[in-house]
Amino acid sequence: MTSSILEELKAAVMEGDSEKSVEFAKKALEENIPPLEAITNGLAKGVKAVGDLFSQGEVFLVELVMAGDAMKAGMSVLLPVIKESKMEMKSEGKVIIGTVEGDIHSIGKDIVGTLLEAEGFEVFNIGEDVSSETFVDKVKEYKPDVLGLSSLLTATMPAQKAVIEKLKAAGLRGNVKVIIGGAPTTQEWSDEIEADGWAGDAVTAVSLVKKLVKN
Amino acid sequence: MYKLLSRGEILSIHTAAMEVLEKVGIVIQHDKALNKLAKAGASVDKKTKVVRIPEYLLNDALQKSPRRHKLIARNQKYNIVIGNGESYFTNAFGAHYTIDLKTGERRLSTIKDLEEFTLLADYFPTVDYIKPNILPQDVPKTIWEQEMALAMFKSSEKHLSLVALTPEGWRDVIEMAKIYAGGEDEFAKNPSIIDTGFNNVPPLKYTREIIDMILECARYRIPFDISTGLLSSASGPVTLAGTIVQGIAENHAIVVLTQLMGPGTPIMWGSCATIMDQRFGTAAYGSPENGLIHAAFCQMAHYYGLPYYGAAGVIDSKVPDQQAAYENTMNALLATISGADVVHDGVYGIVEAGVTASYDMFAISNDICGAIKRVAKGIKVTPETLAVDLIATVGHEKNHLNTPDALRFTKKHLLEEQWHPLISNRTSRPEWEKRGAKTIAEVAKEKVKEILSTHKIEPLDKKMESEMRKLIKERAKKVKSS
Repeated sequence: MTSSILEELKAAVMEGDSEKSVEFAKKALEENIPPLEAITNGLAKGVKAVGDLFSQGEVFLVELVMAGDAMKAGMSVLLPVIKESKMEMKSEGKVIIGTVEGDIHSIGKDIVGTLLEAEGFEVFNIGEDVSSETFVDKVKEYKPDVLGLSSLLTATMPAQKAVIEKLKAAGLRGNVKVIIGGAPTTQEWSDEIEADGWAGDAVTAVSLVKKLVKN
Repeated sequence: MYKLLSRGEILSIHTAAMEVLEKVGIVIQHDKALNKLAKAGASVDKKTKVVRIPEYLLNDALQKSPRRHKLIARNQKYNIVIGNGESYFTNAFGAHYTIDLKTGERRLSTIKDLEEFTLLADYFPTVDYIKPNILPQDVPKTIWEQEMALAMFKSSEKHLSLVALTPEGWRDVIEMAKIYAGGEDEFAKNPSIIDTGFNNVPPLKYTREIIDMILECARYRIPFDISTGLLSSASGPVTLAGTIVQGIAENHAIVVLTQLMGPGTPIMWGSCATIMDQRFGTAAYGSPENGLIHAAFCQMAHYYGLPYYGAAGVIDSKVPDQQAAYENTMNALLATISGADVVHDGVYGIVEAGVTASYDMFAISNDICGAIKRVAKGIKVTPETLAVDLIATVGHEKNHLNTPDALRFTKKHLLEEQWHPLISNRTSRPEWEKRGAKTIAEVAKEKVKEILSTHKIEPLDKKMESEMRKLIKERAKKVKSS
């Protein structure tokens, strides 16, 4: 029974079926399957499988996003129980992502967030037009391993530099790896502003985060 | 001519777009603009900055928005009238990287690349007016737009479309344009000596900075293109019909605002929209859907009585190869035969969708667009071109190479009938082998080197150049002291 419920959870995520994900998450609790196991061997397996297929160009972005949503739907049933029992969620690492001040582009950043979640990272997507101060506050609050700064406008690229400067001033620069991305940015710009890395697309961004978290 | 949409489909799309404009509305993050729209009769939500625009406001604006307008060049022979029924071509916009002409290495773009691409655009007959092909990475960002404008002023006699990225930089560029025009009064009379272009932030949004720069254009009546930048299935609907509907609402908000602020300001109404490839999360410009989007948008623009500006001809391929050539050809051709007034990104000296400039590709695309322009010219049918008398004279025994009348006739009509590519190969095989059996990319490289070393233009007036230089220096000083 356990294994079939876990299989169903994985399948629900792979099919992007949020209702089914919720249904089988509830079943897992009824059957006394430890919620952490339901996540690790059910939901997370499904989203990892879809993430891998996406990296290979085998599934569409819309399927990846729906898989992510289905996982979150299942998690919403399981997380309260985990919190109650004071168990710890295992994650690959914590990542904050946001678009810098003056810039309201969201799509590229959101794709990176979805892919990172598929890879088991805990992602805090703090939105667009985020001020340097807010980035620093959020780094203090969430203590992430990696901070991702997106800028789609040449005019807002300097704001990426400003965030790094503010982190330095707050004495936090050593605690977090900072990566940048967005159409007008380059590896050279990343070097110039002393970021820890740059990626030109979402799949590369995920490899970069993995590499940085390992080191 | 290619007409994708039926009359009924055009009306359905229009009705749907009006519903989006009136009911869903557009975010305009600019209080002064919102106040103006509210006073004119639009409904504005001050908190969310959403403006909902009724159709009668659009109709007023369309009355004021020119159906055709002139773009003026430093050399009058390059003046063009956008909206006169011809398709005018521009080069590509904005590469951060360049494939080095000598080493073949992909490296950061420089201001020298911008000068060279502008000089090539001056030479290539397919380029009717010039966009900044390069966003140079060796110039401080604080004086970026200014340095780019000067590099372009120095490198061509054709009409120049300059880049507006920041309100401050754009105001400086306008000051430089006043110098270029021969003074404040001259510029006031001829503001279309320059133009620029803007995209929105889809879905349905405009930032304060973009609106600031648009208002600056409206103030002087500087022409500009406004193009939705939506990606189908990401920042707009996956359906192409829905894509057109959203794009119309996005563009029209700017038509209404601009004609309220500066009635008569020329607008090139356009699209940089394309699909997102759901396999990679990338924008796919070299897709057939891109061509369909241009065909539909073009019909809608003309339905509204506005000139259509389509970014058609963008190349996704990473190198100037077979894929690059078919992508460039397919969509520039579709846009042209759909009647686009401006085929922006037509003569595409860039690969990797706007990222990496390629000298070779520029020369190859010049041939592609030359061929497309020949197609657009069509066939001239007159009693003379029907050539019945000549066919009778040549008869059955002679031909057109051994009959004096036919030779005279051929010589007279040759250049208007037959287009001759600059670098494409049409020789016999032995001749091709004798000349080194070169690929078009090799020939392109040689041709570009030759043009760069031989093509000369009338230099920019020294006094103008030094005044512009002074303006840039002052800006750099101001930035430093602040």
